[in-house]
Amino acid sequence: MKYADMAVPSRAQHLWRYTPWARIHPTSVDKVPEAQPVHWKLLEGGSFVQGAPRVLIDDDIGRVFLSELGGSAQTLETSGHHEIVHVQAMASGHVAVGHLHLMMKHNTTVLIHLTGEADWAGLHITGEVSANVQCAIGLVNELSANSKLLHCENWSIGRDASLELASLSIGGFRCKSDVRTVFTAPGSQLTQAISVHGHQQRHVDHHIEIHHLVPHTDSSLHIHAACDDQSHSISTGLLAIAEDANHCDAGQVFKNLLLSEKARAEAIPELEVLADEVAAAHGAASAPVDRDQLHYLMSRGLAPDEAIALLIEGFMQDGFSNLKQEALINEMRTRLTVHLECELRR
Amino acid sequence: MSDDAREAVGDYQFGFHDPEHSTIRFDKGLSEQVVRDISELKNEPEWMTEIRVKAYHHFMEREMPDWGNCGSLHEINFDNVTYFLRSSNATENDWEDVPEDIKNTFNRLGIPEAEQKWLGGVTAQYESEAVYHSIREDLESQGVLFLDMDSGLKTHPEIVKKYFGSVVPHTDNKFSALNTAVWSGGSFIYVPKGVHVTMPVQAYFRINAKNMGQFERTLIIADEDSSIHYVEGCTAPTYSTDSLHSAVVELIAMKGAKIRYSTIQNWSANVFNLVTKRGVAHENATIEWVDGNIGSKLTMKYPAVLLKGEGAHAEVISVAYAGKGQHQDAGAKVHHLAPNTTSNILSKSISKNGGRSSYRGMLQVTPKAHGCRSKIVCDALILDSDSRSDTYPTMEVGNSTADLEHEASVSKVSGDQLFYLMSRGFSEEEAMGLIVNGFFEPFTRELPMEYAVELNKLLELEMEGSIG
Repeated sequence: MKYADMAVPSRAQHLWRYTPWARIHPTSVDKVPEAQPVHWKLLEGGSFVQGAPRVLIDDDIGRVFLSELGGSAQTLETSGHHEIVHVQAMASGHVAVGHLHLMMKHNTTVLIHLTGEADWAGLHITGEVSANVQCAIGLVNELSANSKLLHCENWSIGRDASLELASLSIGGFRCKSDVRTVFTAPGSQLTQAISVHGHQQRHVDHHIEIHHLVPHTDSSLHIHAACDDQSHSISTGLLAIAEDANHCDAGQVFKNLLLSEKARAEAIPELEVLADEVAAAHGAASAPVDRDQLHYLMSRGLAPDEAIALLIEGFMQDGFSNLKQEALINEMRTRLTVHLECELRR
Repeated sequence: MSDDAREAVGDYQFGFHDPEHSTIRFDKGLSEQVVRDISELKNEPEWMTEIRVKAYHHFMEREMPDWGNCGSLHEINFDNVTYFLRSSNATENDWEDVPEDIKNTFNRLGIPEAEQKWLGGVTAQYESEAVYHSIREDLESQGVLFLDMDSGLKTHPEIVKKYFGSVVPHTDNKFSALNTAVWSGGSFIYVPKGVHVTMPVQAYFRINAKNMGQFERTLIIADEDSSIHYVEGCTAPTYSTDSLHSAVVELIAMKGAKIRYSTIQNWSANVFNLVTKRGVAHENATIEWVDGNIGSKLTMKYPAVLLKGEGAHAEVISVAYAGKGQHQDAGAKVHHLAPNTTSNILSKSISKNGGRSSYRGMLQVTPKAHGCRSKIVCDALILDSDSRSDTYPTMEVGNSTADLEHEASVSKVSGDQLFYLMSRGFSEEEAMGLIVNGFFEPFTRELPMEYAVELNKLLELEMEGSIG
């Protein structure tokens, strides 16, 4: 389907309820503006092949739009010689778009750093995890404070494979992320962790879909959002377990820490379960800074601001606690600490 | 009952129907004239006719919801529904005066017996209007008004005009517009300041005719520091064609008042049950919805509470049982609009024989609502591989001092629990029945004892043959 033939999605759809399409479109909704390419650079390990397959979903306007915008397209192939592959994506200009396809055939960790000062950035990442591969992917969004971001991901996980997906969202003032994972063969696992720091007027909307189409697949999703100033975080998750996908174990935990009177947070963890021999659960919690914890830290000599900063850091670090790949955890935590040092202790 | 119908609804103990003896029956279909005719027939004031007509136009213009079970919703043929059927010329206050066949129906449902034993008042609605109504003298002497809605409008138009549509306006959704246009029957209750109605009052709703639409409207106002427990039950005969039940319930709990509204919905599996229930709780008031959904083809019902006054509290306990061909799309909505308001939501559901149960909820904390606390727990049991369970909770938090928790789980009956019970001599079916009853226990313990016993019996019937 062409973008021009698609209707603007209704706000009745959860996906577009809090961030309507018109608010994330770079110009006006009837236009497909000219886009510059996102510049991809391999900092360490792997190799690029020009071009990337597109995953288009007929009713998803975001993916169709990103595809029509064009931009750059690269496929990353891992060699297995490097434990960590560092990829830099630089978005600059008015509208910048990049497509990246990851062929995960080796046990590798890939870290993608999204930076730049584009007014509007579009990022579409697709990936296939081959059978028996254990890999980890980290995305750090460090766009400039004035950028808008539309970010889509599609993953498929092969037999007995394991994928860890981590995302740290600290850049851009309006970000819409839509990450969808499909289990295509039994025995596979997905561990996904997202940490969001909402500050100033950031508006961060994450939509995560995990589809268990086959039996004996496990998934775990943690989203931690700390919202300060007038920021707004939205987390919607769809966990779907298909008929006959028995022996699946799936869980989602959404936690929001609200730090100011004008901060807002929405959590909508959805479950659709069509099989009976499964364990599926979700939990959501929203609360201010714990007074006991604050008291504990202040009684040890920390000033209130320092104590709160430490609690925010701890809360966001904890968002990655379900991951197992040390390299990925360390990288995400380091980036987070550096960001918070700049934001909270300046 | 035809074979088709039997196939469709299974063994439904209230599936009998009586021959239809209507005194007035409107032709099927909806038009502005039908709406005006209903109003004229009831000799309503002009303002009510105007509200009805406005609501009718809103209903015609408004699109069907594009969420929930859209496929089933589009099966509703609004032109094939009878919007008004009067089966008795008067609302009697003595069972002996109720027409014989209607009395038989309610006798078979056990209503007169229940009234004598443990109720403070009873309204029995048959098709579009109440056929029987009574209230205990001591309550009447304390100034408690318990009337069917039509009588309430006739005798206390000033109260009805003030509150009608104030909690659920006709523009709220397509089905509240439909109800406002063609409402008939329902209960009107006013509890004066400081009066505590210690015995529950009950309304019983029965659809008897084929392709009937029942659109009762209930308005309960509990004045300051008063309390009331209202219980409603619903059944319908089993036909192979569908009926429509689209009610609106509005509760207003003034400062310090408490309203508990309990429902055991056991419509037959050919009834679309699309109900809007909402209450407003003022300062330190409490509204409790205790909501059991056992029957119907499709239920879409989300009892809601607007916590408008400081210190108000909402409690929603709901259970749903979805058997063959059923979709129970139920849940709860709580809006924390004032500081220091609290809420608890407990939802339990069971899906069996291809049934689908969904929890759909909304918890909202507005920026001015400081210090709110809420806890939501949703548990679902799936008893076989053909069934389905979904949860769609929404939390919107606009105040940093709010403390909210939500947890949900979907699972099957634990093998360990079954083994434990069977090792003590229970058959697998008995053990399964015990576990299911235990699963629903937080709900049944909130019901009056007679209802709890009845609900457990109903569940036992529904669970029959669930093993092997």
